[in-house]
Amino acid sequence: MPGFDFSNYNRNAALHARGVPLPKATSTGTTIVGCIYDNGVVNCEKLHYIAPKIWCAGAGTAADTEFTTALISSNVELHSLSTGRDPRVITCMTMLKQHLFRYQGHIGAYLVVAGVDPTGVGLYTVHAHGSTDKLPYVTMGSGSLAAMSVFESMWQPDLNKEGAIALCAEAIKAGIFNDLGSGSNVDVCVIEKDKPTQLLRNYEKPNERGQKERNYRFPRGTTAWLNQKVISKEDMKKYVTIETLSGDDNLAAGEKMEVDV
Amino acid sequence: MADRYSFSLTTFSPSGKLVQIEYALNAVNQGVTALGIKATNGIVLATEKKSSSPLIDPPSLSKISLITPDIGMVYAGMGPDYRVLVDKARKVSHTGYKRIYNEYPPTRILVQDVARVVQEATQSGGVRPYGVSLLVAGWDEGVEPEAADMKKDGGDSPAKPAGKTGGILKGGPSLYQVDPSGSYYPWKATAIGKHATSAKTFLEKRYTEGLELEDAIHIALLTLKETIEGEMNGDTIEIGIVGPPADHLLGYEGVEGAQGPRFRKLTKEQIEDYLTNL
Amino acid sequence: MGSPFDINGGACVAMVGKDCVAIACDLRLGMQALTISNNFPKIFNFAPSTYLGLTGLATDVNTVSDLFRYKVNMYRLREERHISPQTLANLVSSSLYEKRFGPFFVSPVLAGINQTTGKPFICGFDSIGCIDFAKDFIVSGTASDQLFGTCEGLWEPDLGAEDLFETISQALLSAVDRDALSGWGAQVYIIEKDKVTQRLLKGRQD
Repeated sequence: MPGFDFSNYNRNAALHARGVPLPKATSTGTTIVGCIYDNGVVNCEKLHYIAPKIWCAGAGTAADTEFTTALISSNVELHSLSTGRDPRVITCMTMLKQHLFRYQGHIGAYLVVAGVDPTGVGLYTVHAHGSTDKLPYVTMGSGSLAAMSVFESMWQPDLNKEGAIALCAEAIKAGIFNDLGSGSNVDVCVIEKDKPTQLLRNYEKPNERGQKERNYRFPRGTTAWLNQKVISKEDMKKYVTIETLSGDDNLAAGEKMEVDV
Repeated sequence: MADRYSFSLTTFSPSGKLVQIEYALNAVNQGVTALGIKATNGIVLATEKKSSSPLIDPPSLSKISLITPDIGMVYAGMGPDYRVLVDKARKVSHTGYKRIYNEYPPTRILVQDVARVVQEATQSGGVRPYGVSLLVAGWDEGVEPEAADMKKDGGDSPAKPAGKTGGILKGGPSLYQVDPSGSYYPWKATAIGKHATSAKTFLEKRYTEGLELEDAIHIALLTLKETIEGEMNGDTIEIGIVGPPADHLLGYEGVEGAQGPRFRKLTKEQIEDYLTNL
Repeated sequence: MGSPFDINGGACVAMVGKDCVAIACDLRLGMQALTISNNFPKIFNFAPSTYLGLTGLATDVNTVSDLFRYKVNMYRLREERHISPQTLANLVSSSLYEKRFGPFFVSPVLAGINQTTGKPFICGFDSIGCIDFAKDFIVSGTASDQLFGTCEGLWEPDLGAEDLFETISQALLSAVDRDALSGWGAQVYIIEKDKVTQRLLKGRQD
């Protein structure tokens, strides 16, 4: 993974030079937020696992947030196994920013990193160019301005768990309703010291789709087809099959090659 | 290093042996005994934790290691070589598998990857073979052997030999041994190290088909008792098990399909509980 | 020149039904507005009841399908088993992301039934490997806007294999008729646990 493959780069650059536009990657119009409370941290929307007690919310280029968090999660896990300690939020944040800085903003991942470790609670934002912030409440993504307006008007320094969850959900909803790009429902992750992390998927669904009033099922036989081929269970598995041949010693000559003393 | 030659140190003797590998096996056969037993619902790995001096701080010593959440490993032979292999096994399970398929490797694939690392040390320039034998225990999700048999009997399709490239993931427990040559063997139960021969004889007598994990742990302790030199207690032996998913060790809740690690090491207290019931 | 995704044209769609999935594509291959062939299938088989549809730049459709044929064959030889749809989805994703800074111009669609769990699975990808897991349907290609419309209107949950065939076929045929760059016949695969039915649809040839 650390190595990208640039084998198509020249071809695509040549096409681009002749006026072909570059492909659009799915960019998540989204709102992500995080908020610290007395002994834990809440983190909302598009959640990625880093470690049991460190989670990341991602905005920006969807593939970049997915793979950057997966790579850092993998390295954090290996590091944690070899040190025999719980991973720290600041370690994870540093690995993310160093990775993103190396790619000078071309990896379009905008992240909110939240977690609890032996040193306490951690909440950071990481920008695609590698800059980071450490704050008691953070927002990112296209709906970040709407969400921040909620935090700026309603955040208090002594929030409890329920208050923090409600505030984060409110901030996300501000993003959903006031930012065209932002999605439809609220996922929440609550990370507390000495307790398993709780993931509340679809904590709120303010945009529930209505039931269809009528069905448009076509009568069987509507579609005209020219021919068909039925592939049965037996045919499906017909690639190369290797069958064990019976007892003739000469056939097992290959087996004798292995020298085990 | 184009400016330096490095020759392989492992070369054939005129009689067709690779004596360096035999020497490595000698190192293994002087090592502390380790054993593994496969049960129907899990696997146990056990070894003696020998300290050369009463001044050694036992908790800092660890001979059984987690490689992936469902795979664990133990060794006989040289401790430093083992630690290198543990690091490489963990790393290759990520770089060679998890980062591609977003899942951990099945036991056999991990064993093959580790065996490749070990084999390369017997043919590369400037290096010596690893002085360890490994026991690798793991659980694979998929169709477990019993269920697979049922399918064969009850299925309407004509029973044919399981094609090697066909079929679905064969799940359940597996136990492998990896030697310094890079060869690997699947076992129902085995032992490596100093008292491997006598321990294997003991296991041959005690092992029965359809063994359950709790019985396997019991047999593991009995086997260890036959060969152990010092006292047997929670500080002097180490046990790792592959059992049912330990969801309380997962560390988070609310993720669909997530399950806890199957491999875990028994605590000092848990080992002593088993020892009192011996 | 237009986007590389629109040069050759083509459309692909996958849908979930009750204990079955369907995947369908058109058969057109073009150079801008000129049709070159009406026999260019875009769906490829990688394991029993696991199919991958590829729309986009035709040269990349060929390269990518060959690449995954190689990767899946290597997987099958190494692991002595077929790849599951979920595992293939992650393989496709990581392979496309490896080319993050020089992507293939393809938008893959995957449909299959997991042989271990018996559950239907579909997903789609962008050209750099971001997976779109969907419980209903996935669309891709030059007619994707139209397909979104037809699928949104016609799809409903728990359709049986025969009803799913009618739904996916009508969704695809209606969509490609409103796209100048796709159509010219279509191919549909109805995937059930132990049977796959491949049908060649009668589509407009103009």
